[in-house]
Amino acid sequence: MATPSRRSPFRRRSLFKAAGLGAAGAAGLPMIAACSDIESGGGTSQTTEGFDFLPTYKEWPLPFEPDLVGEPPNHPSGFTSYPEPVQAVTDLPSGSGTYEITMPVWGTVPSADDPYYAGLHEAWGGTEINLRQADGNTYAETSAQWIQANEFGNGIYLFSWMLSSQSNFRETVVNSFYDLTDILKGDIADRWPLLAGRQTAAWGQSVWSTDPEDPESARIFGVPGSIWGGPGNGLLARTDLLEADGLAMPTSVEELLEVARTWSDDAAGRWAFLGLDYISPQWFNLASGDGWYWDEEQDKLIHNCERPEYTEWLEFRRTAWDEKLVHPDAPSGTLDGKELHKAGTILFQQDNMSWWQDYSTQAAGGQVEGAIAPVGALAANGRTPLVHVGTGVEGWLFLSKDLDQEQVEEILDVANWCSAPYGTKEYEMLWYGFEGEQFEYGEDGTPVHTEVGTEVVQAPVNFKTFSGQVQTFLTGAPDFVQAKFDYNASVKDYAEVNIWEGMRVEGPADFKTAGQTLIDQQDDIAYGRADLSAIPEMVETFLNNGGEAGREHYTAAYKALHG
Amino acid sequence: MAALKTSAPPAAGGAPDRPRIVRKQTVSQRLRHDWPLLIMTLPALAQLSVFFYWPSSWNIIAFMDYSPYRPFWENPFVGFAWFGRLFSDPYFMPALVNTLQFALAQLALVFPLSIFLALVMHSVISTRVRSVFQSIVYLPYFFSWVLVVTVFIQMLGADGLVSNWMLGFGGDRLNVTADPDSFMFLAWMQWTWKDAGWGMIIFLAALSSINPSLYEAAAVDGASRWRRMWHITLPGIRPVIVLLLILQIGTILTVGFEQYQLQREAVGYQTTEVLDTFVYYRTILSSNGESLGTAAGLFKGIIGLLLVLAANHIAHRLGEQGIYQKS
Repeated sequence: MATPSRRSPFRRRSLFKAAGLGAAGAAGLPMIAACSDIESGGGTSQTTEGFDFLPTYKEWPLPFEPDLVGEPPNHPSGFTSYPEPVQAVTDLPSGSGTYEITMPVWGTVPSADDPYYAGLHEAWGGTEINLRQADGNTYAETSAQWIQANEFGNGIYLFSWMLSSQSNFRETVVNSFYDLTDILKGDIADRWPLLAGRQTAAWGQSVWSTDPEDPESARIFGVPGSIWGGPGNGLLARTDLLEADGLAMPTSVEELLEVARTWSDDAAGRWAFLGLDYISPQWFNLASGDGWYWDEEQDKLIHNCERPEYTEWLEFRRTAWDEKLVHPDAPSGTLDGKELHKAGTILFQQDNMSWWQDYSTQAAGGQVEGAIAPVGALAANGRTPLVHVGTGVEGWLFLSKDLDQEQVEEILDVANWCSAPYGTKEYEMLWYGFEGEQFEYGEDGTPVHTEVGTEVVQAPVNFKTFSGQVQTFLTGAPDFVQAKFDYNASVKDYAEVNIWEGMRVEGPADFKTAGQTLIDQQDDIAYGRADLSAIPEMVETFLNNGGEAGREHYTAAYKALHG
Repeated sequence: MAALKTSAPPAAGGAPDRPRIVRKQTVSQRLRHDWPLLIMTLPALAQLSVFFYWPSSWNIIAFMDYSPYRPFWENPFVGFAWFGRLFSDPYFMPALVNTLQFALAQLALVFPLSIFLALVMHSVISTRVRSVFQSIVYLPYFFSWVLVVTVFIQMLGADGLVSNWMLGFGGDRLNVTADPDSFMFLAWMQWTWKDAGWGMIIFLAALSSINPSLYEAAAVDGASRWRRMWHITLPGIRPVIVLLLILQIGTILTVGFEQYQLQREAVGYQTTEVLDTFVYYRTILSSNGESLGTAAGLFKGIIGLLLVLAANHIAHRLGEQGIYQKS
């Protein structure tokens, strides 16, 4: 018998190999066939009201009443004067622990060794809390990795809008963070009077269920941030540039386009807009959040992309791009809008409302020229305007599950101190620093940051957001407070009704993924990379790849909430 | 058991030599003999185990409904469900097609360019010209992709240098950095600027190993410069070309990440999504969890392995050594 060649598949060794692979495959296939389906990422819904384990509310009397009385939450009250601050925490705890808390920061990170922080540690009783400040622009995404790796120090602050970047956040919360229920349950006013003075709604929104199927498993996992009503974002216009060109503040989408056309000059390097993506949907009556709108006539939830206003919105964005009203490098997403706004390269900047106050402060200090103000409530085609407003706590401080109870209580001592409202010494230290170092009193008695204070204290996120304030007010320069108070009054009647009041809904993973695809495709249309005729196909793709599953999930939550 | 080997054929016409018996060493004998060598491999083995083999074993989560918060053994097996989800994802096919396009373009346009640059450099006699040229071409390799992309935007962006020149001459803005139709051209320019110099250095090293006396002999025989390159230079570096080609084919689905991620917003996902950005956006920045990304990574690895095996096989057929040979 001839010996098979070395390359022949009939050699004994090759046959053994083939037989082995075949046997492994044959054994593996039934195992694979017997596998279960993917069950994770189905989404959750969490009631945020009606709990009996929250801290018992005990009013913390304000030391001063506001000068301007609004209608909170969407029309907050304000102070146009600066009262002599009083001490809120008179019985200071004595702490000796050292902790590290992760927080986002936008802009330059101050030195952790700055004497300001040591001053705060001493002021609140000795507990040393070091902030691990990370870039706010990428914080939402990277924080998901830190949390899963348990590398966020002793605690982490997350803004509520960051939760959508977390995969299955309910599971993350209950497995990574300290369950505060047993510490905070009932009457806590003796030790933490300011935390006891927080609204019950704020604590209710800090609850997650350890078992999604069992409502009884709900527990408190976070220290809630402040509740700020009214519009969080706005389209801020350089009013000095408008006046210089004899243009009036637009009052409708059509007027906005006309102003943009008049002011923009592509060849001269000036454009009306940089970004329009998150501020403009409300001008077309599109819903905020995950984009669901309850249609009374059809008796069902309708997603933004299924509504005719969605096409109108994308037509508007495309028109602005085609007519060169948008900065040509806007699609790169790398431009610094604030700098372009200051330089007068762009007329309108979509931004957080804090930009209004920042710009006004810088203009008062001579650091920038001109002035800015938000455009009022806009609508297209004669519709009634809609204004997206803040609907809950701005975020949470979550503590590591690896801490022991005494350590958690010590950090809550600091949180209690940081909850002090306007008109207190604690608030002054958190928002302005120490007199003579980080701020000086101005002629009208209002604190004004020194250069050091601007660098170290003025950042919007640091110990100011460590714990929510007992009550929030409009504060700052009197002119600014009055202007913002009037602005809120002018838009409050158009505030969007929150159909999810009393419930926090996390959509299924497929829905979130399909939603991200939809956003990418929206940008393709808005920046001329795809035609408007592609809208029906992209809506169909969205619905087939997770949109319908999302509708089912959100409808169940809506029915549970509204019956 | 002893193996019999003859060291030479029997001498013709005479009495055959007595066969030399080479006794195969036992494992313990080999250990006694080679223990210093084995000890020297331990650090590398430990490094590979910790940073390669152990993480690679976690590829199993591609077949699980994995959650990092559950004990590992409580994660249910879901078979190929994640692969099914992967192949039905609307981003997957564009990512795969783009990856293959970019890989083939890199292979066809940048790889030969590196060889060409090396040959040009090799032919330059002036040491000063050569070192200046080498520095200019090689330096961009050390730039990060952030810098490379920024330089291109500053130069060729809609508000960049060239655009503003063109506006000054009454023309229109250039839109190379945000136009999906010209992205392949843009990517090619970026690869060429950044990477061609690096490839050149490797080929230059191979060129330096060619015996100069071969050129002298060929010149004496009247071979032209072209003939010398064709018959001496290219055959001399052919093993290195084949080796690098096979290695590049093995990583053909790893076309890079930063370059595409940084330009994704400007150009759009349809044109810039590659498998690596797919994993980032569909796993880390989405709610799909780790299993989908692992499935995508595994798919990429298996395709890469098959391509390496195929390329190595072809190299053997062509008489080259390839990256390994069966003993």
